Amino acid sequence: MDLSDLLSLEAVVPALKANSKKQVLQELAGRVAAQIGLPEREIFDVLQQRERLGSTGVGHGVAIPHGKLARLPKLTGLFARLEKPVDFEAIDDLPVDLVFMLLAPEGAGADHLKALARIARVLRDSSIAQKLRASTDPVALFTVLTQPISSHAA
Amino acid sequence: MAQLDYAHLLLLIGAVLVLAGILSSLIANRFGAPLLLVFLVVGMVAGDERVAGFKFSNLFLTYLVGSAALAVILFDGGLRTRFARLKGALAPAGVLATLGVPITALVVAAAAVPLFGMSWTEGFLLGAIVASTDAAAVFFLMRSGGLQLKPRVSAILEVESGTNDPVAVFLVILATEMLLASGETLGLEAIALKLAIQIVVGGAVGYAGGYGLVWLLNKVELPGGLHPIFVLASALFLFAIAALVHGSGFLAVYVAGLMIGNKPVRAFPSIAGFHDGATWLAQIVMFLVLGLLASIDNLMRYALPAVLVAAVLMLVARPVAVALCLTPFRFSLKEMTFVSWVGLRGAVSIFLAAIPMLAGVKGAEVYFNIAFFIVFLSLIIQGWTIPTAARRLGLALKRTTPEVHRVELDLPGQTNQEMAGYPVTEDSPVMRERALPAWARLVLVVRGGAILDAASAGDLRPNDYAYLLVPPTKVPRLDRLFAPGHEERPVFGDLAIDPSIKMADLVAFYGIEIEADEVELSLAEFIEAREGGSAELGDRITLGPVSLVVRGMDGDSITKTSLHLADLDFDFDAPPKKATLAGRLLKRLARLGRKPAV
Repeated sequence: MDLSDLLSLEAVVPALKANSKKQVLQELAGRVAAQIGLPEREIFDVLQQRERLGSTGVGHGVAIPHGKLARLPKLTGLFARLEKPVDFEAIDDLPVDLVFMLLAPEGAGADHLKALARIARVLRDSSIAQKLRASTDPVALFTVLTQPISSHAA
Repeated sequence: MAQLDYAHLLLLIGAVLVLAGILSSLIANRFGAPLLLVFLVVGMVAGDERVAGFKFSNLFLTYLVGSAALAVILFDGGLRTRFARLKGALAPAGVLATLGVPITALVVAAAAVPLFGMSWTEGFLLGAIVASTDAAAVFFLMRSGGLQLKPRVSAILEVESGTNDPVAVFLVILATEMLLASGETLGLEAIALKLAIQIVVGGAVGYAGGYGLVWLLNKVELPGGLHPIFVLASALFLFAIAALVHGSGFLAVYVAGLMIGNKPVRAFPSIAGFHDGATWLAQIVMFLVLGLLASIDNLMRYALPAVLVAAVLMLVARPVAVALCLTPFRFSLKEMTFVSWVGLRGAVSIFLAAIPMLAGVKGAEVYFNIAFFIVFLSLIIQGWTIPTAARRLGLALKRTTPEVHRVELDLPGQTNQEMAGYPVTEDSPVMRERALPAWARLVLVVRGGAILDAASAGDLRPNDYAYLLVPPTKVPRLDRLFAPGHEERPVFGDLAIDPSIKMADLVAFYGIEIEADEVELSLAEFIEAREGGSAELGDRITLGPVSLVVRGMDGDSITKTSLHLADLDFDFDAPPKKATLAGRLLKRLARLGRKPAV
């Protein structure tokens, strides 16, 4: 299983415009709502709820906002490259410009955690992050994110 | 003219001894042997009549050198101890340093009286001589070898060893006086009063002296280079003054060191750097001189009784004292075992054994030889096994402090910024991260012989020499960033979690499993409960696929926590493990073991 199980080409946003953490979350919720057919407000609330436990900005300019939704059929990801970095209250205080949102069905349990770990692992790779920052082409971004594990295993 | 030659000869012998000690340390390093042991052995060999042709037996000189060296070592120990680390360790260490010493001495006496047919006073004298842990040995052995212990454990051991000497000195002098004026014994209240005066006066002299020194250093313009010498002389001054007015000189210098090390002081880098060297010299000289004093033949005569006393001390007396003193503070069995094992004896004991000899107690060489042998055994057996013991007992932090070659520069008139210089190596975290923390400012870079300012140097490269402005408190963090080959546990991939949130929320979000009665706790309370009452930086509680990590502490309270999940990835495609019955039982047992002792 790699990130292609969570991510579709349509869920790659090459240059998201946002000025704050809240706006980022709103934009993400708006875009994914259309794809999964659930209300934008519900998604935004779930993401906000999670941020209240502590920022999902995991460092090095990367954030992984996530949450659980009752009526979601399967793990759903959405990747956005921000046009300019925003303050995300991240663990290392650096502004964030790469955001991977993960929504999980209510009962996903271990799969949810594994998917989070996988996303963190992929984005931790500095060469991958570099490629993601260098491109605005959705297909290129999607390819970088979903390349097989072996080619970028540390 | 013969007098002049004699002086030169003495200088030559002294210098050769120190050099021999230093050079042997290069060999000893390969075997991981405690360096102090090496100095002691070099002294013993050089002091042997068959080697030197004469026997060094100047007790007065030994006492003088030993006092001065110990004062320097204790002062330096204080200088390097951060107040923040002491919180939570002060009370248990205090009890161990006061009550622990007589308890240890009594248990040793109880064994020595029937074993060697000693009187109780004699047995108690022997016990008191070997009862205190040695600051030189503890400071040294705990900081060498890159071992980093859980802060509470190492703080206890350091503070204990820094503060128990006055109690031991006092008990030894007391027992010596009682042996000399046989028949006349002091009442318990008189003893307690004398001891209290030692501690109060010593502490007060140290506090006032430290305070005054900080003020003087920041106020008075001294010619460059004199700061460290001024501080060293002042430390010896405080030691002598406190001792002359019946206070504990050892306690006074330790407290003074603590004050200076924990307040913003001008020229602190040069003071600390100088004392680093001075402490080394003090260690070498003290152990050399004590080694000189010992005679191998005499030592061997007392080998059997010494081994017996050492066994009683290490396996019974110290553990009993530690258990009695630390149980009320809810230490785990492992922590108490470790504290027992690292009851290192060192120069202080040998030095204390010289007191009855100086005072002219009959048969005093018995104490000296036994004490010497015990120190020897303690350095070999305990000193050599500290890292192993720490790892076996799970008390060593994964993040060890590596050797890093830092140059510190004093910025005149500045107390909240200093300049630190580091060689940049390819495998250091700073190269992997390619970024500097916000609190560090790159000032200049020496690259290939050229001196560049930060702007023209751009990113750091391997083989650069980087000079940065940093707040002195952050220097240890910078050390880790520049340490070669040092794997900083990646914070990246961790999700920050507010320590004040309810465990119920974490359960809801991540489906982690905890006990029903833990759901209502906050994250911080949960970690503390699972850690047996108090948490420390780096504590990690693993709950199935995730672990909760303490990332920030302010005193006793947890300020930063994170959820770690990156390791999960390795068994990404493996089926989830079902907890077996045995596994669950083991987990239960492990948790029982962590429950605070009541």
